Order: sequence, then C-alpha cells, then structure tokens
Amino acid sequence: MDNSAAVLDPQKEIKENHAGRILGKALLYIILLFGAVVFIFPFFWMISNSLMTLGETITRQLVPKVPQWINYKEAWEQANFSKYFLNSVLVTLGTLTGLLFTSILAGYAFGRIEFKGKNILFGLFLATMMIPESVTLIPNYLLIRGTIIPLPGGTWINTYWALTVPFMANAFSIFLLRQFFAQIPDELWDAARIDGCDHLRFLVQIVMPISKAPIMTVLLFGFTASWNAFQWPLLVTTRDTWRPLMVGLYGFVQEAGPYTHWLMAGAVITIIPILIVYFLTQKQFTQGIATTGLKG
Amino acid sequence: MAENTVVHQSRRKTLKLIRLQEQLTGYLFILPALIIILIFGIFPIGYSIYMSLFNWQVTKGPFIGDKNYLLIFGSWWNLLVLVAGLGLIILGSLVWGKAFQSLNNGQRLAHIAGALVLILGGVIFVTGWGMMYETGNKDFLNSLIVTVYYALGTVPAEIILGLVLAYILYQDIVGKEAFRMIYFLPYITPSISTAVVFQIIFSSRETSLANRLIGFFGVDPLKWRFEPKPVLKLLGVNVSGLAGGPSLALLTIIIFGIWSFVGYNTVIFLSGLGNIPKEIYEAAEMDGGSKWDRFWHITIPMISPVTFYLTLIGFIGTFKAFNHLYVMRTPSAQDTVITTSLLVFDRFYKANQYGVATAQAIVLFIVIMGLTLAQNKVMGERVFYG
Repeated sequence: MDNSAAVLDPQKEIKENHAGRILGKALLYIILLFGAVVFIFPFFWMISNSLMTLGETITRQLVPKVPQWINYKEAWEQANFSKYFLNSVLVTLGTLTGLLFTSILAGYAFGRIEFKGKNILFGLFLATMMIPESVTLIPNYLLIRGTIIPLPGGTWINTYWALTVPFMANAFSIFLLRQFFAQIPDELWDAARIDGCDHLRFLVQIVMPISKAPIMTVLLFGFTASWNAFQWPLLVTTRDTWRPLMVGLYGFVQEAGPYTHWLMAGAVITIIPILIVYFLTQKQFTQGIATTGLKG
Repeated sequence: MAENTVVHQSRRKTLKLIRLQEQLTGYLFILPALIIILIFGIFPIGYSIYMSLFNWQVTKGPFIGDKNYLLIFGSWWNLLVLVAGLGLIILGSLVWGKAFQSLNNGQRLAHIAGALVLILGGVIFVTGWGMMYETGNKDFLNSLIVTVYYALGTVPAEIILGLVLAYILYQDIVGKEAFRMIYFLPYITPSISTAVVFQIIFSSRETSLANRLIGFFGVDPLKWRFEPKPVLKLLGVNVSGLAGGPSLALLTIIIFGIWSFVGYNTVIFLSGLGNIPKEIYEAAEMDGGSKWDRFWHITIPMISPVTFYLTLIGFIGTFKAFNHLYVMRTPSAQDTVITTSLLVFDRFYKANQYGVATAQAIVLFIVIMGLTLAQNKVMGERVFYG
C-alpha cells in the first residue's frame, strides 16, 4: 500500500530518497569520526597525561585539573634529552645530506643515461628492498665494529659515522627519483646539450628545480626513517655520546617506570619534530607515498 | 675524397668518445650509491651465510658446517619430510584446479584426487613439523608460529579497515583531507613513542583505560601485555599453550600494529580508487545496480592490484617488524610475543651467539621469500589488471 502511494506521488519518493541519502551520509560520517577518534585518542592521552600530576595519572583522570607544564622541564632534564635531541638532529641532517646526494645522482643516471649493465644494477638495487634487517644486521654490526675490514679510527661504535653512513643510500629513494626523472621530456636535454650543457649541469640547473616534489618526498621519508630509527642505534651506541632520541626514550622508559607523567612528556617531546614536519608538508607527503605506492 | 674519409673517421671517433663519456658519466653517477648499497645491503647477505657456518660467538670460532642449521631443524631428514609435505600440498592444489579437465566427470575426479593429495601432504607436513619440534629448536619454531599469528592478526584487518575507510572517504566527504591526515598520523610517528602510550593504556592495573573500558561492559580486569594465556582460553575455550592461538599479550601488540598501519593502507587505497575510471561506475549506475553491487562487482576487482600489493608488503612488514614488538613485550608474556625477528636479535645481542643467529636469520629470509612467491602465485592469478 505504502509502496504504491510512493510511486504515485513522485515528489514523496524523491523526498524519501533524499531522507535515506542523508541518513546514509550521516552513517558514513559517524564511521569516519569514530575512526578519527580511535586514531587520535592515544595522542590525546599522551598529551593529557603529560600535563598531569603523578597522582592524577594513577587515578586516571581524563584531563589534568591544572596543566603541569613543569613535567616537560623535568622529563627533559631527567632523561638527558638535550644531548639526545641534538644527536638526533645532527644524525638526521647528516643522513639526509648523504641520501640526497647519492639518490639524486643515481636516480638521474638510471633514468636518463644509457650505460652497460644498467638494468641488472637497477634490479640488484631493487632486490635489496626485500631483505629483512635480521639478515644484514649482524654483518653490518661487525663491519662497523671494524672486525671485517679495518676502519679509519679503529672502530665506529659510538661514532657519528655508524649512525649515518649506512643510511646514506637506499633503493627506495633512487627508485622514486628515477621514475620522475625518466619522465622529463628529451627535448629539454637536447636543447641543453646544444647550449653546451653536460649531464651534471643539466641535472643541477634544470632537472632539480623542476623536481621539487619528488625530492621533498625523499627528504620526508628520509627524515622519518632517520628520526624514528631504533634497532640500529641501540646496537652501535653504548654510551650517550651519539645516542639518538629514540634509544634515549627507551632507556628512560626502563628507568622512569611508574612515573607516567614524565614518560608521556618524554614521548611528546620525541614526536613534536615529526609532527611539525608532517603538518607543514603533509600534502606532498601523502601524495608522495600515494603516487609511488611504496613503503619507506 | 681522402679528406672526406678523414673527416668521417674523426667524426666517428668523436661519436665513440661521446658514447664512452656517456657510459663513464653513468657509472660515476651511480658510484656513491652503489658503494653504500654494496657494502651495507648486499655484502652482508653473503657474509651472513659465511658466518652461519662457523661456531661464531662474538669472535669467529671453528668451522662447523651445517651444525647451526641442524640446531634449528634437528636433522635434514626432518626438513626433507616437511618440504615433501609442502610439495604435496602444492601438487594437491594444482590437481584440484587443473587435472582431468578433458574427461567427462573430470572436475569431480580432480577434486577427489586433489583432496587426497592435499590431505596426504598436510599429514606429512604436520609429521615433519612434529619431528622438527622434537629434536630441533623449539624456541625458533615457536617464534615462527607467533610470527604467523601476528601476521594473520594484523594484515587482513588492516586491509579490510583500510579499504572501508578509503571507500567512504572516496565519496563526497567534507573534510576529506583532514580525515586522511589524521588516519595517517600513527604511521609516521615514531613507534617507540606511540608504543609507550599503548603500554599505559593497556597496563594491567585495574584502573587502566583498557580495563575500565571492558569494565563498562561488565568484564573483569585483564592483564593485557602481561597475559601469556591464549585469548580463546580467556573466552572459556579449553586450550593451552601456543597451539591455542595468540595470547592476550600478542593480541595487545596486534591492536597496536593495526592502529599504526591502517592509515597507510587507507592512503594507498584512496589513490587506487582515484585511478578507477568514472565511466565504469556511470555505466553500472545506468544498468541499475545498487551501491552495494557496484562495490562488489566493480570496486573490489578494479582495486585488486592495490590489495595484492598491500597484502604483500604487509606480510613482509610483519615478518620484519621489530621496534614496537621489542618495546611492548614483557617477560611475563613469555614466548607468546617473541617473533622470529626478536628471537634472532636476542640470540645475537643478548646471548652473543652470532653463528646461530645468522643461521636463524637466513631461515627467516627463506621463509619470507617462500611466502612471497606463494602469495604471488595464489593471489597473482586472481588479480584483475584492467
């Protein structure tokens, strides 16, 4: 009965359809919002706990009565964060400089220069992406310790080099840049060559300025990988000299144990640089991984 | 005439020179990257194999051949039985799908024969595993089981949730960018830092957030990260040990894994959805298919290459996972949270048995390669490439 009435009255049908659509849309938003809450809640909890007194963290308030900003100062001092923070910044900067240098050159060569054995070498590079760290970790540790071949300075344990050099090139960055460089029209190169450009000048003066987006993506991936690194730094640093933030935070977790408010303040401190970089560049970042579809 | 050939020859010479120069530039450009990747990426594989043949504890000891591997398998015979079982399983599935197709009753016959071979293969595989478990390294074999639980607990959930969220975001949604940004946040933040928060949320205290949440539904407080008992047992099923499924401690880590990785899948799926031509949807709409039909019959097949890719790197990723597992494990959860990558690290870092550790790492590598190949075979055939 109802049905036939609806058909007879087209206006009503449209209205009902409309109502159904709004309801459906609302459901979608509810799912999305629920997801957003789940994803963001641990961050909220981190920040909220970092501003509580010890008592409040035990009774599990949702938010602190009076934000205890002093927790950050205390955590910073207790955990020796000034040293770790500086180490992380320097290690990240050094790694990124090397990474950009090697991958822009190699990406260009694989994308735009013809040389013998190119495809085999490129395949070899790509294959390294599949290898689990468990396999390479131990020989690399021996390499850095100076056991396999003599290193300048005897051993690289507790040095800046141990934390930066092994990460100054990776197949992912080269692959990403190669894909972009290969698409640059040949006419540009022909014109440049007539003007007496060689490959290096063409790369620096023409290719790099138009490749800001993929270079940024490589930078951002390099940044997070270097900043978030844990296993390797844990292995090759035994003293505070070059310990980065993540290893420092892990040590702090072991020591601070029940002092949740300090732990959370420490965790927030380690995340802030990543958050700043992410928010400033998030569009390029998500687009970068979306277009390459690869994991950093 | 003579002059002409001279010009010709010199031109050829310069052309050759240019080509040579081109080659040299190419090599020169890749040289810095090549050196680093050769030294830290490729050389270690060979050296790992070399190390695994020695009694290597901090410093190199005597050559012991396959002893480190025998510690894992017990004997090569055990491995042979296991591999034979695997081979039969593969053969069985081939027979099931492809044999006797020219015969009249071919399919039924193939299914019967295939099933028989499959069962036989399964029995032999389980026997081989049992023999290995008797005489081999239980810790290592357990760690493989834990790794498989971890992978099966995280990857499918990440794929499904990622696809659902991406599909919803792909509709006309206000604030799409903001949602995407939030979903991606757990993936880029350092897992050490976020794992610390999960430790607090899932602590065994009665007042912990997780316990309060289940208390709301009338469930008694649980020990979460510290609970080695299987989840099924806590639900009342009478099982025990690793055979009873993942422990609650592992489940807690699985929840963390899903939380931190779903956003990545969502972003990749979202870009994959953007690549599906709109015309296909429009045509289907005119044919009168419902939204649900369109999702099942257009979106799912069209997105399958992305699904395949994400499943692949998801599995490889779980087998390689280390940082958050290392931080979130507790001694009281015992071996129910020790995946193979953790075990290898402990052998090396804590026990200083470098030879044993490298042998285990190589077996892990082979397992990963085998899984990748199998997945390529099984899923690759079902993937629809436009």
